[in-house]
Amino acid sequence: MPPSTNGPEHPVTSSKIERLLQLVHRTADEELSCTECFDLLPQYVDLEIAGEAPDAKLPLFTQHLAQCGVCREEYETLRELARLDAEGRAPSVDDLRRSL
Amino acid sequence: MTPRSNADWIRALSEPGADQAAALADLRTYLLRAALFTLHRHRGSSHHIGRSQTEQIAEESTQEALVSLLQHLKDFRGDSLFTTWAYTFAVHSALMAARRERWKDVSLDTVVGSPLTLPASTDDRRAIDPQRRALQVEALAAISEGIARLTVKQRQVLKALVFDEVPLDELARHWSTNRNALYKLLHDARRGLRAHLRAQGFDVQELLGQFGAGR
Repeated sequence: MPPSTNGPEHPVTSSKIERLLQLVHRTADEELSCTECFDLLPQYVDLEIAGEAPDAKLPLFTQHLAQCGVCREEYETLRELARLDAEGRAPSVDDLRRSL
Repeated sequence: MTPRSNADWIRALSEPGADQAAALADLRTYLLRAALFTLHRHRGSSHHIGRSQTEQIAEESTQEALVSLLQHLKDFRGDSLFTTWAYTFAVHSALMAARRERWKDVSLDTVVGSPLTLPASTDDRRAIDPQRRALQVEALAAISEGIARLTVKQRQVLKALVFDEVPLDELARHWSTNRNALYKLLHDARRGLRAHLRAQGFDVQELLGQFGAGR
C-alpha cells in the first residue's frame, strides 16, 4: 500500500527481513520475465480450472508468481473471473456496474 | 453474446464484414466485464476512487485492452480459451490503471531516493533466547553487507519493491522503463544477496527460521 505521506520511509521490520529472505531463498538461476508470465497466464489458469496439473507443464510459472506481486495479483483476478465464467456464474456488465 | 469457438473468434475478428463487427462488439463486452470485475474486486484498496471515476477507468482500460489484443491477435496459440486470453488483457490494463490511481499522489522520488538502512537488530520484542538474537544480529550485518555490494540501481529496486512495496509497474513508469527490466534488476539483486550470504556461511532457509515471528 502507498505510504500515507511523503515523509519517512517504511521502517525495516522483522517481517520485512523475513520477506526478503523468503524471496532470496526462492530465487532460481533462471526465471520467467513478466512478459513470459503474461503469455502463459491464460493457459495456466485454464489448466488449473480444468483440474489438470499446470505446474507440470509450466514449472517456472508459480516460481515467478512467488517473486512478483503484480503478476500474482493479475493471476488471482483472472483465475477468479475465468472460474466463474466456466461455471456460468460470471457477473454481467450491468451487475458489476450496479455493484460499484 | 454469440457463443464462439477459438477458431470462430479468430476467423470473425480477422475478416472484415458483419461477423467482424458482431465479434468486436461481443469482445468489447467481455473486456469491459473483465475490467469492471477487476476494479470491483480491488475496490477495498481503491476506496478513494468514486463510482463515475471507476467507470471511466473501466472504459479506458477496455479500450486499451482491445487495441492491445487486436495487435496481438496473430499471437494467439489456442493454448487457452480465447475468452480467458482476452480477459488477461483487460485484467492487466485495469490493474495497472488502479495502481496508477492509487499511487498518483505519492512522490516516488522521496520513497526511492531515501537510503535503505537495516537496523542492527530486529524489532522483535518478544523474549527470544540470546543465541537467536546474536544470530539475527550477525545475519543482519551480513545482509547489510550484501546489499552494500549491489549496484546502486539494484539497491534502489530492492528497497522500493521489497521494503517500500512500490508496485513494479509504478516503479517502471516512474523510471520510464518496463517491468521486465526492473524484474531482471531485482532478480540480479536477489542472486547477488544469495551468493553473498552463502559465501558468509549462512543457509538462507535456516535464517528464515531465525527471523520468523515468534518462532
